[in-house]
Amino acid sequence: MGRKFLSFAAFAATVSAVIVLFKILNWMPSIIEGGLLKRYGSIDEVRTKLQFTEIYVPSYFPQRFAWPPSSVLAQTSPYRAIVMEFRDREKGEVALTIVQSASESFRPDKQIVMVQTKERERYPLKGRDADLEVGVCKNEEPCSKISWKEGQYSITVTMKSVASDLTRLAESMIR
Amino acid sequence: MSGISYGIELFLTSWPGMYVSQSFFHSLIAAIIIDRAVRIWKISDPLIIQRLRLIVILFPIFSFPVYQAINHERGSMAFRLSTLFDSNRWLQIELIGKIPLGLPFLLFLFLVAVIFLVQEMIPVVRHTLESRDDTSGDFPGDANPLVREVLDALPGEKPPLYLLDDEEAVIFSSTGRDPAIYLSQGLIMMLNLEEMKAAVAHEMAHIERNKRPLLIAVFFLRIIMFFNPIVLLEFRRAIQDEEKICDDRAISLTSNPHALAETLKKIYREPGDGDLSQSRQLSRLRDSLEEHSHNIHLESRVKRLETRQPQTGERGLIPFTMALAAVAIINYFVV
Repeated sequence: MGRKFLSFAAFAATVSAVIVLFKILNWMPSIIEGGLLKRYGSIDEVRTKLQFTEIYVPSYFPQRFAWPPSSVLAQTSPYRAIVMEFRDREKGEVALTIVQSASESFRPDKQIVMVQTKERERYPLKGRDADLEVGVCKNEEPCSKISWKEGQYSITVTMKSVASDLTRLAESMIR
Repeated sequence: MSGISYGIELFLTSWPGMYVSQSFFHSLIAAIIIDRAVRIWKISDPLIIQRLRLIVILFPIFSFPVYQAINHERGSMAFRLSTLFDSNRWLQIELIGKIPLGLPFLLFLFLVAVIFLVQEMIPVVRHTLESRDDTSGDFPGDANPLVREVLDALPGEKPPLYLLDDEEAVIFSSTGRDPAIYLSQGLIMMLNLEEMKAAVAHEMAHIERNKRPLLIAVFFLRIIMFFNPIVLLEFRRAIQDEEKICDDRAISLTSNPHALAETLKKIYREPGDGDLSQSRQLSRLRDSLEEHSHNIHLESRVKRLETRQPQTGERGLIPFTMALAAVAIINYFVV
């Protein structure tokens, strides 16, 4: 009985050691190469800690969205990228996402999923050539998405609202 | 960001890329846990060890699709940020500011795929094609008095035995619908009666075990893991376990471990002399490496037979179940 217990204890210790080892291995890249994707408390924290100053935020912000963003993910390595999520004040769900990335390969989680695209068109956004998609999300809720290039960055704004609100917000992001 | 980094990131975040990288890490973790389980429970029975090894070989084939079916969000950024180990954090690190670590990682897996093709796949296909039609030069072994004596002395159902006109010491069995044992004239000259019984009993054990060809089924499944170095090594170790299982079965038939040990010593391959031409050096290196590993394996079998002790350790389902559960739970959080 004693030997059996010891075997179980030794096996549990092995499993714990493997977990700790991989936890450390997961943490090491952030030491070797700073600026890997991480969650931050605010946009200002990203600006100061990552020296990531060129962040595009809207100056027009519809009342129904809560400020500050409920979630901010950012990285400067292997390239600069930031994801900001904003919640609807009443419903509490994510209703606006802003993704800014220096690489086309950056694929953040889709918090707002357009289940049906009704219209897709080129949209002139303050002299930029933007792609505008209009459709519906779950529960037939109207949603829209706009993407454009801003210097070295690709910016995508997705919003649970009609296109006019979205384009106004997107325009306010360009200085 | 360089084009290489972009391509590597694109691949590693695609389904095939995630399958490749995650199955590698899943098999690595499985190998560590199984190795420790064998030591902790002091398992010495090669049959139990082989069953545990199958976890390392088979688990990574199915782990990624099963985990994704359980949780569609498992590959998401949110999951990766809060999980135990995210392989992409390492694989996207850029060496000297340009080359992502994923590149040498994928090149290494490519090298393993080439080794698998050259050392396993091509020989297996060639062997299958050759063994289909080449029975020339073989003649029934019953005519030889020593062979007849061996067959009479061994219990159980005996497969047909054929003699090969070869001076080298060779013995092997064919399996499938018409299993048979083949042994060379050279081997008959080299072995005494007890040693011959041990050698034939070992081949009979192979035939008996191949009535349920588990390793062949595993081989076909493990082809999916052609790029995985851990699976490559573990499958080879599982084959070595198979030899030890058949050694044990042979001893149960002959009750003479010493004779089997002596037989193995006699078929130990001496390293060849070094007067081959320069152009054949690479092939010679490969052959000598193969010979070396063959000899190491034979030595370990001989040692095991000579210092034979009653098989100890846990035999039941406990180590298997606990190891499998630990591997399944930990790997769920390894992406």
